[in-house]
Amino acid sequence: MSFEAPHLLPTPVRSPASPLLRVEGLTRHFMVSGERIDVLHDCTFDVARGEVVAIIGQSGSGKSTLLNVLGLLDRPSGGSYVFDGVDTTGLREGSRSRLRGDGIGFVFQQFHLLERRTALSNVGVPMVLSGVPLLRRRARAKELLESVGLGHRLHSQPHQLSGGEQQRVALARALSRDPALILADEPTGALDAASSTMIMDQLIEQARDHDAAVVVVTHDPKVAERADRIVELVEGRTR
Amino acid sequence: MLRSLTAGILLAFAGSRANVARTILSCAGIVVGVGALIIVVTAGDLGQRYATAESEANAGRAATMQVTSFSAVTDMAAYEEDIARAGAEKVSLSQMPAQSAVFRNGDETLDYVDLTAVDVSMAEIRRINILQGRWFTEADLGSQAPVLVVNQALGDIIGDSTEIQMGTDRWIDVRVVGVSQGSAFDGDWYSAYLLRSPITEEMIFGPTWDAEAGGMSPGESELGVTHVALLDPADSAAEDMDNGEEFTERLSSAKWRWSTDGRPDLMIYRADYAEQTQELIDIMSWGLIGIAAITLTTGLLGVLNVGLVTVRERRRELATYRALGASRFTLFVAVVMEAVVVAVVAGLIALLLSFALVAVAGAVIGNFVALPPDIAMVVPPSAVLVGLGSAAFVGLLAGIIPAIRALRASVVAGLRE
Repeated sequence: MSFEAPHLLPTPVRSPASPLLRVEGLTRHFMVSGERIDVLHDCTFDVARGEVVAIIGQSGSGKSTLLNVLGLLDRPSGGSYVFDGVDTTGLREGSRSRLRGDGIGFVFQQFHLLERRTALSNVGVPMVLSGVPLLRRRARAKELLESVGLGHRLHSQPHQLSGGEQQRVALARALSRDPALILADEPTGALDAASSTMIMDQLIEQARDHDAAVVVVTHDPKVAERADRIVELVEGRTR
Repeated sequence: MLRSLTAGILLAFAGSRANVARTILSCAGIVVGVGALIIVVTAGDLGQRYATAESEANAGRAATMQVTSFSAVTDMAAYEEDIARAGAEKVSLSQMPAQSAVFRNGDETLDYVDLTAVDVSMAEIRRINILQGRWFTEADLGSQAPVLVVNQALGDIIGDSTEIQMGTDRWIDVRVVGVSQGSAFDGDWYSAYLLRSPITEEMIFGPTWDAEAGGMSPGESELGVTHVALLDPADSAAEDMDNGEEFTERLSSAKWRWSTDGRPDLMIYRADYAEQTQELIDIMSWGLIGIAAITLTTGLLGVLNVGLVTVRERRRELATYRALGASRFTLFVAVVMEAVVVAVVAGLIALLLSFALVAVAGAVIGNFVALPPDIAMVVPPSAVLVGLGSAAFVGLLAGIIPAIRALRASVVAGLRE
C-alpha cells in the first residue's frame, strides 16, 4: 500500500492545434494463467475538443479496455497516451486520480449511480471529491439536473427513477466538473429507443456547449452514425 | 420464474437482515467493552476519591505523621516547636484525654463519647466536613468552657440543646460550636473534637500536667502524648511509611529541650493511608481493565468482520468513487472512518448506558453508605475520554484491514460487477 502526498501534475504541453487526446502505438496485454493475451495492438488515433467520436467493434475487440485506458482507470502495456497536453504514461496513481477527477467524466452502461443517495447527491459526488463547498455544489448539481430535464426529480433515489432518467443523472454527474473529455461506455445499451435518442441528444448537446470531446463506445449503429467520426476496433487494432 | 423471483426476494431480505444483525452484534461487543471500561474508570476514580477522603478525614492529608512520645514531655511548647523544625508544616495535638468524660444533655446522660483533643490547626491536617456551625478558631482558646465540635451522631442527639455538660467528679458546661460529618469508620459512635485550651489541658494530660512549666512532670507519663504532623509529601521523612526513623532522628536531635530521658520513647509512623488503598484499587482496576480489553477485542473482531464483508459487497460502489476521481487515500480514509463512526456510535451508546448505571448505583449505594458531600458518584471526564478514545481506536484498528482490501481491489473489475 502506498499513498502519494503531492498530486502534482506535469506542466501540460499544449498548442492551439494539438488534439485533446492523442494515442500512439498503444498496446495492452493481460497475463492469464501464465498465458499472454494481447487485447490492444498498436492503436493510434486522436480526438479534438468538441468532437464526438464513436468507437465500434465486435465483442472482445478491446473497446472497453481502450476506454479504461483513456479514462486512466487502466495503464497501457506500451505506447503513449497524451491527455490535454500531459503524457499520462509515467504518471503516478495520485496524479492519475486527480487528472481523472478534474478532466474526465464517465457515463456507464449500467449508470453506476450510488444507491441510497438522491439524484442531487449523486451529481454532487465528483464535486465533493474535489472539495467544492456545499452551497455551490448543490446549486451546480441542481442546475445540471434541470439542464437534463430532471429538475423535478432532484430528491429521487436511483431505484425511483427509470433507466433513461438514471442515465441522465449519470450524464449530469459526468458534466459536474466541466470535464474536457466525456467517456461513454455503451450509454444507451440498457435503454429503449426513445431514451437512447434523448441521451445521445443531450450528450452531443452538452459536448458542444462545453467544448468537450466525447468518446462513445457502442454496438449500436444508430448511435455511431451520430458521431463526427468513427474509430473501428478490429481484434484490438484501430482502423 | 415466479419461484426464482420469490427466492431472490427472500434471499435479499435474509441477507439484509443478516447484515443488520452482524452490525448490531459487532456494536454490542464494543458497547459492552467500552461500557466496562467506563465503569472501571468511574469506579477507580470514585474509589480513589473516596479512599483519599476517608484517609484525609480519619488520618490526615498526605503526608501526615503520627508522633507519640511515651516518655514525659516536660516542655510541650519546645516539643511542638521541634516537631515543626523536624519538617512539619502543620502540627496539632491528637490526644485522647487522660480523664474519660461523661456527657449529659439536661438530665439525660449520654453513652460513651470518644473524645479527641486537638488544636485549631487540625482542620488543616485532616479533612473535616462541617455540617453545621463552624470549626474552632483562635478566639475559642480564651473560652471559659471547653469547646467542642461533635460528630453527626452526637449532634443528632444533642439537637439544639444548650444544656450540654461534661464531667468526671463535677459537671461543667461545654460549648458545642459545630457538627462534623461522620465517616464510614465512626458510624453510630458518639465522638467529638475537644479544643486544647488552658482550661482543658489538665483534663487532657492528666494530673501530671504542670501548668506553670507547660509540660508534664518528669518520669510520670502513663498515656503518652500524641500529635499529628503534616509534612510535604516529597520530604524524604514522609516516605518512611512504617518506622519514621528519619523523622525520629530529626526530632530527637534537641531532645534535651523537652525530655529528661536520655533516650525518649518515640513512636512515629505515617498515618495517612490513601496511597496504600489506591494501590489496591489500581490492582483491581487493572484486572477489570483486562477483562474489558478482551471484550473490546471481541467487538473489534466483530466490526472487522462486518467491514470486510461490507467492502466485498461494495466493490462496485468503491470502484465508482475511484472512477469519479477519488484518490486511494480518500477511499482509505472513507472506509476507515466508517468503522470509526460505527465504533464511536457504539461508544456513545455505552456512555449513555454507563451514565444511567452509575446514577442508579449512586442512588442504591447512597442508601447504605454516606458519601462525603464533595464526592458525588458521577462518570468523570477521564472515563468519558477513555471510553470514547478506546472506541475510536478500536474502530480505527478494525477499519484498516478492510480499507487496505478496498485499495487493492481493481477499479476495472469493480465497475464490471
